[in-house]
Amino acid sequence: MIEDVFTLQVPFRGAYRLQRLRFGQGSPRLAVVAGLHGNELNGIHALNLLARSLQAQAPRGTVDLFPIPNAFGIEQGRKRGPFEEVDLNTVFPGDPGGTAIQRVAAALLEATDAQVGVDLHSGSLLVHELPQVRLPMSGAELELGRAMGLPFVWRRAPRPADRNSLVGCWRAQGRPALRVMGGRGATLDMPESLAMAKGLLRLMAQLGMVSAPRPGSILADVTHREITVHRCRTGGFFVPEVAVGAQVRSGHLLGRVVAPVGGATLEDVRADRDGIVTALRLYPMVHAQELLLRVAAPLD
Amino acid sequence: MEDERQAICRIELPTLDEVEIVRRRFRGAAGPHVALVAGIRGDTPEGVRVLYEITRILRQASELVGTVDIFPCANPLAAHAGMQRWPFFDVDLGGRFPGRKDGHPPDRVAHALTQRIQAADVVLELRGAKRAFRELAQAQVPLGQERARELASHANVELVWERSPGPGAAVSFPQQFESVIVLKGGAGNRLTENVGGDLCAGVMNLLTWLGMTDEQLVPVHWAAIQRATHVQDAQVHELRTSCGGMFLPKLPLGAEVQPGDELGLVADPLEARELESLRASRAGRVVAIREQPQVFPGSLVARLVSGPGEHQGKVMSRD
Repeated sequence: MIEDVFTLQVPFRGAYRLQRLRFGQGSPRLAVVAGLHGNELNGIHALNLLARSLQAQAPRGTVDLFPIPNAFGIEQGRKRGPFEEVDLNTVFPGDPGGTAIQRVAAALLEATDAQVGVDLHSGSLLVHELPQVRLPMSGAELELGRAMGLPFVWRRAPRPADRNSLVGCWRAQGRPALRVMGGRGATLDMPESLAMAKGLLRLMAQLGMVSAPRPGSILADVTHREITVHRCRTGGFFVPEVAVGAQVRSGHLLGRVVAPVGGATLEDVRADRDGIVTALRLYPMVHAQELLLRVAAPLD
Repeated sequence: MEDERQAICRIELPTLDEVEIVRRRFRGAAGPHVALVAGIRGDTPEGVRVLYEITRILRQASELVGTVDIFPCANPLAAHAGMQRWPFFDVDLGGRFPGRKDGHPPDRVAHALTQRIQAADVVLELRGAKRAFRELAQAQVPLGQERARELASHANVELVWERSPGPGAAVSFPQQFESVIVLKGGAGNRLTENVGGDLCAGVMNLLTWLGMTDEQLVPVHWAAIQRATHVQDAQVHELRTSCGGMFLPKLPLGAEVQPGDELGLVADPLEARELESLRASRAGRVVAIREQPQVFPGSLVARLVSGPGEHQGKVMSRD
């Protein structure tokens, strides 16, 4: 059932609506949000795939899906919506009496008052990400995140900026919260969307809400110490030689930075460890020190 | 007096071109060390203009006590595009401090600026007005920075506002230093002649007050330097809309208002209807007024400053 759980009158276009897609009732309750950034579309497709599955298999408990909380940003194909040009995922917990975007944030936080929360993202416009879950170094979230069976599990200490994110606020309220990411911004990446949808079904199985689907396969389960971040030494045109998810050996050629005029090689980028390519720069024009690839140690 | 130009950081572009972040250092006899920074956001040409004028004045100075470091434009690519944010990365350099040595270009510039300015005794950031607004020339200092508050009195502004840190303050430029004054005013992304002149005179007056430059270099007579009103957050009242539409101001910047005075209204231009009348619920002065009219529910349209005894309650009202 699709419901408007919050509306806001705005000029010219008509009302903003925070839409919720609800399946089932009672406890446990899972809330999944996608599209906080208006140019990240894989999560929207993942939620539509999940919805199709839940129409065929009614869950035990309640599943609330919020595919387009940043509806205006999605319309405009931009990360931020038109509300004060602010990133929605930096204003939580929001304020019901504050600016428009603070009101949206407060309404979304209130509407996602579930036992477990999941926030779906794509990579940036420039970088393709292996489907992954980012979670704290320990605790209940680690078990839930691993249960999703996504290829990449990244255990990270919280950063100060996380406090005003949706996931940060869920955690501050004592609720397990997972940040899931896959693919690239501004594109629809079918395999990554499908991987995220299947991961959500496995999470629901872990919570006892659906019957267990086929298990996933975790390729890397690491902290930042087991990830090599390859950055560009100088600006140029990056030509990758591997794909996301590739298994590489130390010394493997990962890509080349070449001059945009003439194509002379400026830099060979080679792996310094055996590992899995978890992130790959796809937009080729690069500045010095920009991210080219991440390579994570493989699961033994 | 030493006049040195140095690139504190080079941005290597994908086209293999380079853009420099420039510091101009004027150094004389031993004395205070002041850093002046403009253009952290690319839509604040007023601050860039002021530092252009300050540089020209200091070049003509016969002597200087201490060191003045001028960073005339910290975000040249955004200034080039006339945008608030650093292009391509679409990030606000003003929210990237203290930066990262090994990060992308905005983070490296934030890091280089933070490192180069750490040694300064006093830091002045020159801005324009808040985007979409017209504002009185004013100084803002972080709450609790006593020296900055005292120094700001000499900056030839009508208002010194001691501000509490907001949610994003930890990564803002002013929060990185011990004694910071933000000078701002005018109109968003434009020059305002009297504001630029006032801020230029204010910076030179402040340098003179610190004993660094000769009084003759101050563009206005000392008697014309404005006496600032000092306020804290409790005396600054925000007037916000409760609905979306087109904001039509009724009063100009600087207007003195009484309770009940209408500052503007929100209209629905498609239906030609008045949606909301925004009125002052206290006496005060309009120190900021929205010029870009599109508003959403909760949008800021004006700031009022009340006197010391006028700071109880909320200012928002709706007919």
